Amino acid sequence: MAANVIPEKELVAIILYTSLFFIILAVVLIVFFYFSRKKIIQKELEKKDLILQYQKEQLYAVIITQEEERKRIAQDLHDDISSKLNIVSLNSHILSSPGLTEAEVKEITENIISLTAKALENSRKIAHNLLPPVFEKFGLHAGIQELCEEFESSKTVQVHYKNEINFEEKDLDRHLHVFRILQELMNNSLRHGKAGEIWINFKIEDEIKTCNYKDNGIGFDETNAENQKGLGMKNIDSRISFLDGTIEINSQINKGISVTFTF
Amino acid sequence: MDDILIYGGYILVVLNMILYTYSFFQKEKANVFFICYLGFLIVIQFLMEVMYQIKMNNLYLTNVYFIGQMIFLGFFFNDILNAKDQKVFVKCSLAAALLVLLVQFFLDSSQFLKFNLFEITLTSLVVVVFALLHLYNMLTEYRQYYYITVGVVIYLLASTVLFLFGNLTNGLSNDIKYLTWALNAFLYLVYQLFILYEWKVSFSKKNCIKKI
Repeated sequence: MAANVIPEKELVAIILYTSLFFIILAVVLIVFFYFSRKKIIQKELEKKDLILQYQKEQLYAVIITQEEERKRIAQDLHDDISSKLNIVSLNSHILSSPGLTEAEVKEITENIISLTAKALENSRKIAHNLLPPVFEKFGLHAGIQELCEEFESSKTVQVHYKNEINFEEKDLDRHLHVFRILQELMNNSLRHGKAGEIWINFKIEDEIKTCNYKDNGIGFDETNAENQKGLGMKNIDSRISFLDGTIEINSQINKGISVTFTF
Repeated sequence: MDDILIYGGYILVVLNMILYTYSFFQKEKANVFFICYLGFLIVIQFLMEVMYQIKMNNLYLTNVYFIGQMIFLGFFFNDILNAKDQKVFVKCSLAAALLVLLVQFFLDSSQFLKFNLFEITLTSLVVVVFALLHLYNMLTEYRQYYYITVGVVIYLLASTVLFLFGNLTNGLSNDIKYLTWALNAFLYLVYQLFILYEWKVSFSKKNCIKKI
């Protein structure tokens, strides 16, 4: 009955429009999925590029640091040891020349002895700077204590060190990174921050080892990107990523710096 | 049952209108074109209801509804799309669609007194394309009006087919005739629920999302 009421033309139009609607829809959807896929893949590639770029930068930082370290060691060796050994060698030559009085021989020998003692002392210092023996033998806690004492011995800075963590010896490799980070931070505080006081505080927060570091130096403007891309900061960043930790740096001009990192 | 669906839809659209208007005057401003669209829906539904009650033929209002829906949602998507060429595309396709409909109106104005199949197909497809464009933009970026867009796509796809069969149902007996419209009312209800959920996600105070 119903079919009689509806003219054939109408029916054809309905079928036509419905199929047209679905055909166009299908095309639109296919185009949509095609471009979506493309976009997602492109985004993924960009992400990978970014990671590669970051790794490259880290590698670059590592190489530069290595070179700087070599330069520093070379300079130390040259200034503190080679120069002294040179004089020792000169003195030894004089000692072998004939016709020396006993007083002269005695003076030269004393000279040689004092110079070799100084060279020995200096070589010990250099070795110590490279890797403190206390750290290797007695662990992070003792290493940091010694580091603090060294800094305090310069009389310009006062260090408050507090530790609530019992560092395990098997993590010494990881602790070396922590030690280096602190060394870098303290060097920065002293050299750039002109800090008078430094606070270091180790504690366990929610079962995560956390270190709070604070100084009262001149600080820096954290909104300025240049301050965040220094070699030292990059070095700290890569060490933190080695440790699978997090780091948060807060600073304002004339309000010191506060660093919190986990490891 | 049908009445529940239909009046439930009315209540929800009014509720959405109130909520979005409220949000419009708050800090997290809701999109003004979308509020216009909701207002337009309410007006059309109110007119339809009134004309139905006084036994007037309200069928030509569906044409107004489809054209108005395309215009308001077109402006809405035009407003939230970011890329300049996309905005140009939306404006151009809106203008072109209106022009084509105008031509059709002059050639055969009797089409506008019943379900105008060409118009329904055209306006719905245009809006679906805009919505897909917006979904494409949201793939990798911040989700803005995500649920509304999904709701628009679902509702338009389903209801368009129902409206396309509209002229066919006119000849059917009353019992079966209203089945498709009950389904449409149900879809409309779902659509309004999507819009309500969007409001909850984007504008209710607890989880304010910054508008970029």
